[in-house]
Amino acid sequence: MSKRPCCGGGLQAAALHSAERGLDWLNLFVANIQTGFGPFIAVYLTTQGWTQTAIGFALSLGTVTAMASQVPAGALVDATSRKSLVAMLSILVFSASALIFALSPVPLFVYLAEMLHGFSSCTLGPAIAAMSLALAGRTTLGLRLGRNVRYASIGNGVGAALLGACGYLISNQAVFFLTAALTLPALATLKPLSRLDAPAARREIRETAQRQSVAHVLANSRLLIFAACATLFQLANAAMLPLASVALTKRAGGIASLLIAACVVLPQVMVALLSPLMGRIAETRGRRIVLLLGFLMLPLRGLLFAVLANPELVVLVQALDGIAATSFGIMVPLVAADVAGRSGHFNLALGFIGFAIGIGATLGTTLAGWIADRFGDPTAFAGMAAIGAAATLLVWCAMPETRPEPG
Amino acid sequence: MTRGRANPPHGVVLGMLLTLWVVNAWAADAPAPASPAAAPAAAAPAPPPQQPAAQPSPPENLESLAPDAAVAILGKKVRDASGHDMGPVVDVVVSGDGHPVAAVIDFGGFLGVGTRKIAVDWSLLQFKPVDRDAPVVLALDRAMVQAAPEYKPTVQLPVQIVGPPPAAKDPGPTDQK
Repeated sequence: MSKRPCCGGGLQAAALHSAERGLDWLNLFVANIQTGFGPFIAVYLTTQGWTQTAIGFALSLGTVTAMASQVPAGALVDATSRKSLVAMLSILVFSASALIFALSPVPLFVYLAEMLHGFSSCTLGPAIAAMSLALAGRTTLGLRLGRNVRYASIGNGVGAALLGACGYLISNQAVFFLTAALTLPALATLKPLSRLDAPAARREIRETAQRQSVAHVLANSRLLIFAACATLFQLANAAMLPLASVALTKRAGGIASLLIAACVVLPQVMVALLSPLMGRIAETRGRRIVLLLGFLMLPLRGLLFAVLANPELVVLVQALDGIAATSFGIMVPLVAADVAGRSGHFNLALGFIGFAIGIGATLGTTLAGWIADRFGDPTAFAGMAAIGAAATLLVWCAMPETRPEPG
Repeated sequence: MTRGRANPPHGVVLGMLLTLWVVNAWAADAPAPASPAAAPAAAAPAPPPQQPAAQPSPPENLESLAPDAAVAILGKKVRDASGHDMGPVVDVVVSGDGHPVAAVIDFGGFLGVGTRKIAVDWSLLQFKPVDRDAPVVLALDRAMVQAAPEYKPTVQLPVQIVGPPPAAKDPGPTDQK
């Protein structure tokens, strides 16, 4: 935490410390909340008697809204100077969305809740990234993002455990009440962060910005290459866990659910353990090495899933997913900040990368499902390993080092 | 954005939530849009929608169903022969002459990750309307079903459903269109 005027948002040491802690806990609670809006919604709506087509439509509506909002929401966050206010409103909308699911799961309201959630996810992510950039400055952003990712993974794990227990012991509806309740601590963490929005802090941040035009930012070759790499990554990665989980239910007996839970939790544990280290490496050794490490996990995972039959070993392969997830989670906002951090369009660039990732994930899920249907699971995994290898090659050959020069 | 406004508009958000609650209470009076698709062989008409005054009277050919005589099964749990939870019923496959042929179960997974749809022959199911939570019982064990192919209906290809286990001469899975 440097005392240079361009970092820390101009805050004093004590305020800076509480703001840092606030950001940690914000990441944790937001990850908690987001766990409730995942695949669990399909489970809940099924028990409400929704048909599969209707559920698919509602979920697609959320996905499409999120993808369409990535870039506009990023621009919106760029345009507002009070990022913590944006975060607060986004979290309140999450709360409303969760309550709608709990109280009134009729189609119109569910569509509304899905769209609200999709849009708010696209404003909250950039707001958190922007607050991280304001707190850490460009030279220690890697460390800050490493902390973000660590607390987010802890939040994911705790959230899954809490919500899973709630759904199992109480009811599916109670899970959404719990999700809404979890927004309260999230809002509380924003209080120290709101000092970043004070006029004095904002002046500091503005002074260090060198505004560029939107076209200039989006046409930046480093941004475009990274977006292409990220798209290929998600193309390979998006369907690996779902496909492996389905394969687990085919092979494992009564413990299949437990093994799938382990498949979800193990990467999160790895992320929590590794992220500060990776953030530090990104700062000291450079971005490329962290990127390559993460991308290399993809073809490795795909190949192992394709050849391994033993369900317990399949769970262990998910440890590699932890390394990849750490790398990806830190690198996306980091490279965006490297490329566009001082241009005044940081969140737009982040939204653009998010949009590319969304396309990759959607295409990847469809492609993997199609290959698995026609040629079987091992072929699908091998195909995704091949795409992962291509992505790694692209990073190796084309992705430049984006770490800012010291001084 | 705006300056000088220190606190977010709590009142606006609370007003929105209250409005949603009121609208929900109003919507609950209207007929439910999602009606159960599955029905036992006898047609079961829905209860008459609540009508305001000076509207036509309900149809004359109403039948009534005792609460324990029949149960809606979409979204309800299926138990296997040993009592384990298999997942909810998500669809019913009906033949042209009106007889249910198979039930589709959303099987397995954790918190929604890793679930798979499996179709099982209707003759393998028993129904217990008394148990509102898990009214469907499958005559097979989970282990016999877990490796079944996923149920994916297409226009041209026949779908695979899990049939009765090979007793003396019956083949295993039955192909149905």
